[in-house]
Amino acid sequence: MMRQYYYKLLVIAAVIAACIYLIYPPEKKIRRGLDLQGGVHVVLAVEETEKQPGVISDLADRVLEVIRNRIDSLGVTEPVIQKEGMDRIIVDLPGVQDPDKAIEIIGQTALLEFKLVSDDEELTQKAVSGEVPEGYELLYHKEKDERGIYRETDPILVKKEPELTGKYIKDAYVGYDSSGFPDVNLELDKEGAALFEEITSKNINRRLAIVLDGVVRSAPSIRERIGGGKANITGRFTVDEARTLAIVLRAGALPAKVDMIYREVVGPTLGRENITQGFRAATYGALVVLIFMLVYYAAFGFLADFALGMNILILLGVMAMMRGVLTLPGIAGIALTCGMAVDANILIFERIREEIKTGKSPKSGIDAGYKRAWSAIIDSNITTLVVGVILFFLGEGPIKGFGLTLSIGIIANLFTAVFVTKSIVDWVMITKKIEKVRI
Amino acid sequence: MELIKSTSFDFIGKRRIAYVFSAAVIIWGMIVFGMRGKENFSVDFIGGDMLNVEFSQKTSPALVREKIRSLGIGYYLVQALGSEDREFVIKSSPGTSAQIIEALQGTGDTQGDNLLTVKSKSFVAPSMSVDLRKKALYAFIVGMIGILLYLTIRFEFRFAVGATVAIFHDMLFALAVLALLRKQIDAGVVAALLTIAGYSVNDTVVIFDRIRENIRKTRSDDYYKLFNNSINETLSRTVFTVLTTLFVVSFLFFAGGEALHVFSLTLMVGFIIGTYSSVFIASSMLIEWHKLSPHKFKV
Repeated sequence: MMRQYYYKLLVIAAVIAACIYLIYPPEKKIRRGLDLQGGVHVVLAVEETEKQPGVISDLADRVLEVIRNRIDSLGVTEPVIQKEGMDRIIVDLPGVQDPDKAIEIIGQTALLEFKLVSDDEELTQKAVSGEVPEGYELLYHKEKDERGIYRETDPILVKKEPELTGKYIKDAYVGYDSSGFPDVNLELDKEGAALFEEITSKNINRRLAIVLDGVVRSAPSIRERIGGGKANITGRFTVDEARTLAIVLRAGALPAKVDMIYREVVGPTLGRENITQGFRAATYGALVVLIFMLVYYAAFGFLADFALGMNILILLGVMAMMRGVLTLPGIAGIALTCGMAVDANILIFERIREEIKTGKSPKSGIDAGYKRAWSAIIDSNITTLVVGVILFFLGEGPIKGFGLTLSIGIIANLFTAVFVTKSIVDWVMITKKIEKVRI
Repeated sequence: MELIKSTSFDFIGKRRIAYVFSAAVIIWGMIVFGMRGKENFSVDFIGGDMLNVEFSQKTSPALVREKIRSLGIGYYLVQALGSEDREFVIKSSPGTSAQIIEALQGTGDTQGDNLLTVKSKSFVAPSMSVDLRKKALYAFIVGMIGILLYLTIRFEFRFAVGATVAIFHDMLFALAVLALLRKQIDAGVVAALLTIAGYSVNDTVVIFDRIRENIRKTRSDDYYKLFNNSINETLSRTVFTVLTTLFVVSFLFFAGGEALHVFSLTLMVGFIIGTYSSVFIASSMLIEWHKLSPHKFKV
């Protein structure tokens, strides 16, 4: 009989420990939204400039690759660049230092060039140490690391003057070579084909770098003279790598107009102010709730306060685990959770008072209170949860953050306000053999 | 401590006063809403530029307006933040913020040391605002369907209708107050309205729960008395559950800063009115219905 109470207390302690582990240290574990740390949020709409075979969605993929390529060179810590729907691209740059420059960079048109690589090791070394030979420039290769983030890897010395630009590219797509590896097929237009034949015939066994906006994306060797405007780029590509390279190649001649239809720039000062004010308001609000419960329900109020503290802990723990983004409305959501979480306890405690007034013993009064308040608690939590979940899935940016904290808070509430408090009450009632309760 | 002991107010008897009060505020608010037209909505929903700027020295709102007026850029709205007259929010037609920033540099200052800091700026293209409007409406409709569906499953049809009327009452009331206070609706307000719908129904549920229990227990069909008793019996929890939430919301409103201002105002109005409507409107709907067609309530 006693053992099941200890198990329950053990579960509670384990949850608390797990959450503290997940949250600590908070400034690293909880991601902050743009409104709390400053930064840039941009929505781009991609539009076709000429009727072309191929769909708008594919066009947006290419624009996205172009933008990703550029953003990576900005050195923003956690950029989010994603496609939304068919023709929208969302770019989030948290904590960016120079927002106007970032916006300018995003808005430029793509530049794809083919540049000859100098394979002279000595010259390359010299260039790295600062002595770039006349007519050459030092570029860097970029590769995805194991975490999927593009990093600058080896330096590559290339001729400054491009041999060919992206405007001659007709198409590029993924295929498979004779041994079954993915490769990239490149098709050039008539003019491009002639140029390409000349370049390849003169530079057999040299490498030709594919450079997008000043970043080397690939540097295949020229094996033979290529005529007819059709080239194959082989290498030990994964399907993903091949697809990305094809997108890069097609990005060179984008028949697209990119419109910035939404732009939000939050300065770092405002971000700091938002955090301070938001947290201050939330903390004061929570304190008043804690004090009220303590004063109004005495020992039971203390229990509710403990449950509330645990609720917030779980909320933050789950946020950290989900890598959810904390926004200013998200902080408001946490504050609201404080106000709403004790509702369940108020319903229970008021019911206990009522039951005890009818002459029930403390033990059966408490049991009846928890049992009878349950249906109202479930009903009220579910209606609010519906709202939270919908705001999380359908809301944008800061509002999404509100939906997130509200939803987690409400779900955690069922556990803390009911299970946690009941387990502790039962344990206290039994171990201390309490005959009379003050509530 | 126990502040609300057993009460026996005649809530149902006061319902007609409540009808008049609610109708008056909502109708008045809706008239003002209709007259304001586009001004009801923030740049999120109509497209435009929004700036948050701070001067290093005291600068009057009139001066800021004057500077912008001289640009002749059409629609603009200047709002001072705080009491120091240093920080302003400026909303204007799409693509005009760069001009405004230029015009405001060194405003009202002969030495040229009244520095201007742009704390935030945003731009919403009209095409994007159409999207945001659609999304907000979509979220709103899906949210409402979710709540109403749940109520219909959990309660007898008439109870569900009563709770629904109360929900719409609360949201309309909050919208009316926003219009009367000349506030603008943005994505945050839509989120707040949905939260009101989800939360203010809680008090109604608690009262309906008790009504159901009392009908089962007493088998009485003196609904007038039974409803009043149920409301009185649950009064302390109705009041205190909303009170704890109001503590928090009022701190968000008074100390949460500009970004949370309209959002928390909407919540505050909605929560207060939500409790009022649970007591005076939701149950009264059932009484009116029962008067029109006297069927027993199934429980």
